[in-house]
Amino acid sequence: MRFLSFFGLFFTGALLLSTGCSRQTDTTTSEGPATFIFARGADAQKLDPADVDDGESVNTMAQIFEGLIGFKPGSLEVEPRLAKSYVISDDGLSYTFVLREGVRFHDGTPLTAESARFSFDRQMDPDHPAHFPGASFQYWQNLYSDIERLESVDEMTLRFHLSRPNAGLLTAFASFPAWLVSPGGFEEYGDQMVFHPVGTGPYRFVSWRPNEAIIFEANPDYWREPAAGFDRMVMRSIPLNSSRLSELLAGNIHGLDGIQPSELADLESDTRFQILHAPGMNVGYLAFSELSDRVKDPDLRRAIAMAIDRANIVRLALDNFGSVAAYPAPASFLGIPDDDGPINHDPSAAKALVEAHPEWTESPLTLATFGQPRMYFPDPQRIASLIRNDLEKAGFKVEIINREFKSHLHTTRKGDFEMALLGWIADTPDPDNFLSTFFHSRAAVPGSATNISFYRNPEMDQLLDAALAVSNRAEREALYARVLELWARDLPLVPLVQGDQITVLDRNIGGYALSPTGNHFFGPVYWNSGDMPANAQ
Amino acid sequence: MSDAVQEPAQAVKQSRARLLLVEIRRFVLIFLAASFFLFLALESMPEDPVSLRVKNPDPERIAEIRDSLGLNDPWLTRYVRGVGDFLTLDWGESLISGRPVAGEVARYLPATLELAVLGILFGVSFGLALVLSAHATGWTWLLQPVRGMGALGLTVPIFWIGILFVLVFSVQLGWLPVGGRFDFAYEAPRITGFLLLDSLLVWDLHAFWIACRHLVLPVLTLGLYPAAVVAGTLEARLGESFLERLVTALKSRGFSPARVWGRHVLRLVSGPVVTVIGTQAGALLGGAVLTETVYSWPGMGRFLVDGVLNRDLFVIQHGLLLVVVLALCIVTVSDLIATRLDHQLQNREDS
Repeated sequence: MRFLSFFGLFFTGALLLSTGCSRQTDTTTSEGPATFIFARGADAQKLDPADVDDGESVNTMAQIFEGLIGFKPGSLEVEPRLAKSYVISDDGLSYTFVLREGVRFHDGTPLTAESARFSFDRQMDPDHPAHFPGASFQYWQNLYSDIERLESVDEMTLRFHLSRPNAGLLTAFASFPAWLVSPGGFEEYGDQMVFHPVGTGPYRFVSWRPNEAIIFEANPDYWREPAAGFDRMVMRSIPLNSSRLSELLAGNIHGLDGIQPSELADLESDTRFQILHAPGMNVGYLAFSELSDRVKDPDLRRAIAMAIDRANIVRLALDNFGSVAAYPAPASFLGIPDDDGPINHDPSAAKALVEAHPEWTESPLTLATFGQPRMYFPDPQRIASLIRNDLEKAGFKVEIINREFKSHLHTTRKGDFEMALLGWIADTPDPDNFLSTFFHSRAAVPGSATNISFYRNPEMDQLLDAALAVSNRAEREALYARVLELWARDLPLVPLVQGDQITVLDRNIGGYALSPTGNHFFGPVYWNSGDMPANAQ
Repeated sequence: MSDAVQEPAQAVKQSRARLLLVEIRRFVLIFLAASFFLFLALESMPEDPVSLRVKNPDPERIAEIRDSLGLNDPWLTRYVRGVGDFLTLDWGESLISGRPVAGEVARYLPATLELAVLGILFGVSFGLALVLSAHATGWTWLLQPVRGMGALGLTVPIFWIGILFVLVFSVQLGWLPVGGRFDFAYEAPRITGFLLLDSLLVWDLHAFWIACRHLVLPVLTLGLYPAAVVAGTLEARLGESFLERLVTALKSRGFSPARVWGRHVLRLVSGPVVTVIGTQAGALLGGAVLTETVYSWPGMGRFLVDGVLNRDLFVIQHGLLLVVVLALCIVTVSDLIATRLDHQLQNREDS
């Protein structure tokens, strides 16, 4: 009783304290707030489109920078942006972009062929003053390596010459490493330009409080309609999921991402919010390392693939915010069939195979997994236990090895495992971005491998190279069909799930479209004061 | 002035100098030990931070970077250079962000110090006020929460208390902000990095008010544990028989309760309380990390946790050592103050 009275006193004190200071710091006008605040789990690292690979940096830069071409909001269709038109030569060896007139970077630098070249020259030329020694420019090597040289045809025309045709290059031009940065930004800030981004986008960079927030203001000279929907925009970093949710519930932020599917239950029934979710361009998979003798046997892999109940993983570990991955690339991609795929859940067949091979179960198989959630695996440890469960039912013994994500990545890149859980989030909406990443022997270099199975098959390499050089859609499809056949025969990896991207917004936020690339673009986002129905997908 | 009067004063000065010397020696020894253990811990990290950072980890490039950072030198050279770099504030750059570590620390430290100082002040004054007023007024029920707080502080994680505060005061009642240091619809004044001070320096009372509101819950959360410890220590000290006799004596001379408790007793018990604060410094900094996480407070705690998770070599090396030095400073200063107070006390009791 006395204890309670203390709390009564304590809380009353807090009440007095807070009622005394009840003046709200609210900028809400009759048309809604002037500032749009979005919260995510981590801060950006650098704001240099050519030298980042983390989603938070890309999401920040998406408000500031634009490319010559881009994806239509909410789709993977390419549309002109800073280039008003483009022409690809018949032989596929040159791409010509005619730039839009009257566009200026945020620092006033006009957009011309020369100022646009800066962003590509600095990545391509190791002697360029803006080719910073600390930067990797890895995407240039991965996506744009077929570009041989650039030519400024006239003041507003820029041409790229290729050493060989590359069918994936157009979508690569629409991706973030090809966003244009102002040469003026480099003149003003030097190598610190990665912390002072200057682009042409609907929002201008104002300030960066590391680990706290990045602040933008509307670009009054934006070339495109609709312009920025808010005067000011803030991207906060709030690492703790519960804090991010509390901020949303308290009405301090207008949206968030990076939330666990299991945490959405309460929000789903709350009419103040709209929950948007759509399939992400990702695949979470189970890889077998060719460098490990025990899992080399394709029959063993098939038994494992058949034993795993992938629908169960979607249900229990993704809370149905995702789907079973039928192929090693999402079905929306060119050449990937929209069916259930060749891997069927057949526990009895798996068990029969295991019983026929007693040597498989002499000692436990090891399954390497990691701690931090990713879009494809919101709870990687849970997924590992579900797989262990399935495999044990089939007669295997399984030991789970759990590491921190970076450490796990380090191990898998060396192929130092038997079975490992990992995933891939696409950089471009081209099947090559998944298939070469997983199966090309070029990607099987110890230390930096993305082909972590270390699967090496000359026929596969040939097919993948041929598919990239062909621009005819039907021909490419046929080549990728053969690639998928080889994959299904050899099974270097078992695709498990495709995780949804989830974004929660205040119901009054309009103009937002989930992008299949997973990037947030808040340019056209506005405050919708009318009582519009939530546009949840 | 005769020699007879000067001699004891001289002796006191000498003993103070000796004490200072002992404290400094202890400071240096602990600093060297801490820096060495930190160095050993960094050495035994299972992965090379450089190869984790480089996206295309070809051995030549890694060797090049390691060479440029001096990571291939003999261990003693690296340790001595590390300590030297720390002392000269040459803290290198973060492997992750490329920003200078010293600059980053300068950005995060004020946020943590503002929170920690206010947390301690609140904790100490709340603990003292509760116990002294309970004794002065005879309202012994006020002592119940002291015991409650002690149990709470020891058994319930700060983390959980923080989340509870947020749910009650921010989400349910909407009285106080959920987290962060400032309202993002406004630009915060920036001069020293201490928001309260800066908003007063530019005389922006609205900004001051916003900053205060953001501080309330984190300060309450952080202050609870020191409040419990201070109250517990004070309560134990007040139970000592000589203090009980002193209080009875002072009361019988007709002194007011405020004078008895606020002046005489408080002075007598301040030594142990200061010592407690000092020994709590480490725990407080640990508590600050959790509190910063719950309240999205952009301070050293989150900076260091991120640094450790990312194996950000120089952030861990210099950032953590700075925290160790800060904790050491607090302990040393509180020791000196406590000894001084005890000396005064000794002198008074002797006289």
